[in-house]
Amino acid sequence: MTKTATRTTLRSDELSCPSCIPKIEKALLALPGVEKAEVKFASGRIEVEHDPALSDVDALVNSIAKTGYTAKPSAF
Amino acid sequence: MFSMITSIYRHPASRRKWLTIFSGAFITFALVAWYGFGLAGPWAPLMTAAAILAGYDIALRAWAALRLRHLSIELLVIVAATGAVFIDNYWESAAVTFLFMLGAWLESRTMSRTRGALKALIDAAPVTATVLRGGEPVEVAAHVVQLGETVLVKAGQRLPVDGEVIEGAAAVNEAAITGEPIPAEKTPGSRVFAGTLAENGLLYLRATGVGADTALARIISRVEEAQEAKAPAQRMIESFGRWYTPAVFLLAIGSYLVTRDIELALTLLVVGCPGALVISTPVSVIAGIGRAARAGILIKGGEHLENAGRITALALDKTGTLTEGRPRLAEVVALAGQSREDVLLWAGIAETGSTHPLGRPIVEAARARGALPTAEALEEISGMGLIARHNDHQIAVGSHRLFDHLGIAFNAGTTDAIARLHGLGHTVVIVARDGEVVGLLGLADMPRASAKPMIDRLHALGVRRVVMLTGDQRPAAEAIARAVGVDEVHAGMMPDDKLDQIRAMQAEGLRVAMVGDGINDAPALAAADISIAMGAGGSDIAIETADIALMTDDLGKIAEAMEISRATLTNMRQNLVIAVLTVVGLLVGVYTGSIHMAGGMLIHQLSVLIVIANGMRLLRVPKAAKIGTARQTAEHVVA
Repeated sequence: MTKTATRTTLRSDELSCPSCIPKIEKALLALPGVEKAEVKFASGRIEVEHDPALSDVDALVNSIAKTGYTAKPSAF
Repeated sequence: MFSMITSIYRHPASRRKWLTIFSGAFITFALVAWYGFGLAGPWAPLMTAAAILAGYDIALRAWAALRLRHLSIELLVIVAATGAVFIDNYWESAAVTFLFMLGAWLESRTMSRTRGALKALIDAAPVTATVLRGGEPVEVAAHVVQLGETVLVKAGQRLPVDGEVIEGAAAVNEAAITGEPIPAEKTPGSRVFAGTLAENGLLYLRATGVGADTALARIISRVEEAQEAKAPAQRMIESFGRWYTPAVFLLAIGSYLVTRDIELALTLLVVGCPGALVISTPVSVIAGIGRAARAGILIKGGEHLENAGRITALALDKTGTLTEGRPRLAEVVALAGQSREDVLLWAGIAETGSTHPLGRPIVEAARARGALPTAEALEEISGMGLIARHNDHQIAVGSHRLFDHLGIAFNAGTTDAIARLHGLGHTVVIVARDGEVVGLLGLADMPRASAKPMIDRLHALGVRRVVMLTGDQRPAAEAIARAVGVDEVHAGMMPDDKLDQIRAMQAEGLRVAMVGDGINDAPALAAADISIAMGAGGSDIAIETADIALMTDDLGKIAEAMEISRATLTNMRQNLVIAVLTVVGLLVGVYTGSIHMAGGMLIHQLSVLIVIANGMRLLRVPKAAKIGTARQTAEHVVA
């Protein structure tokens, strides 16, 4: 299973309060193929381990948008 | 038009902005109608419309969270706002939703500015690179450059990759990596880093690190990890935040059951939002670490940020940190019957037009002795030196390679003098006029003029002992120690001796910081309360192992780190006091009936903004540091 897992880093400028952390994490984990989702409030980084065949990067961005935040994929 | 609206709607941030603006407009209309024209009719519908506009997005987010079985702050607000409409309190409902949206918008803007200290670093890395493929320059995305490929960098461009110079020369400003504003001279063989700026010249690089595998990317990710490393107090507040929302619901329901006052219960929901309290400490840590990173100081987490301010002893492992690290004119040797003044004058005339780093100290020294004419013609031979014309004389200034190139031979006296200067560890610059060697200039790394004030500053900050632990021999070490005001010198030390010395100081009750290079001094560094690596720009080991990594060899950064640490601790305490006072004040206000929904939301949002704004103060350069830099610059000019 780890063979297909990819690690994607997203960045958001809009995290203004740590209460949004569990919300975004839960939304990401509810997607198929997402094994791990971690929101780092301090830097605005969102790290996701997922199977791109089941949920691609766009799906991650959309799911975060549904909770009300804009995030963009980032190289590091 | 329609597609524009849908695109605004799809983008959460812009949707929230417009909903807030329209909601505010409706509230304004209602207020103008009532107070300006005495019209009561539009009040309820306009206020309800404002509440629906602002509340719509809050409700969406509350619902999205609720479906994931998460009780969010949005849920508190939307229940309170809906409740207010049902008890005909339209104004409260509109004000609460509008202020919540406006506050959230302002908070996310200020918060991203707090994080912005790093954004400058992230933005330093160029997006594209010019690569030579099949001899032709091709523009490609910076992260797809292959290792070993040749990258072309022109004057004024930022370097897209880490690499080694294979051809060309340039002055490269490495401020993004080291925080050092003076450009470094790069020639074939030099290591260069992505994100640094080529100020002149032309460089051909062999790429050795690309994308996430560059010194810049590693520094950014280290700083972010440091900001994310949570202090125990912060972790407690965060877990507290998770059961806070349900607790506020219970409190509101409980209060209603006891007092039967629905407005009191709804107001509790509004003021119960965990705002200032949960971000009070993280915002200070983020700003403090970000501020330090911008000055080339990498503090590896909140714990070290805290400890840095409490240092009472500092151990330095090598004399190099106390010397300038850049050449200074140390000696002038006159040959062929010339005077030393003339040798310096001729060299100075030739070097006035040069951008070479060895030229600068020569020109400075020559200018200090009087007016310096400019050469009429100048030819710079890269990597060798330069040839100038002045008053019908040809002046050649450079290394022995220039003279090999020109075919000028050295006599025995010249060769001996060169050997003697080399023996003193000097870099030798040879000066010739009309094909005859007239003198030599010895350039050397001298004790820093600024080292003494820096050590004085450390003493003033409460560092009681500055100790030199060095493997060097005693006379050399002591000469430098005396010049810069080090309290103790332990020379000729082996790594184990250094460890024993650190332990001995700790036994005396001192909190010891150890400055080292991270490899030879590993045991002593590990034993110290705080380990500091200097000149860590690009060196992975130093960045990995030290608690604090300074990107340059500037001792003043230690004092700066201590000052930032102390400022951050003070800031954190201020924020906690503001947050706790707000919560207590609001609760007292609600139960005594002096605070209602709209006022409660206003105070709550203001307290969050105050806490963020207070944290942002840390990002400014403190006055003391500015004066320190100015003084340092002045000393360089005078000396």
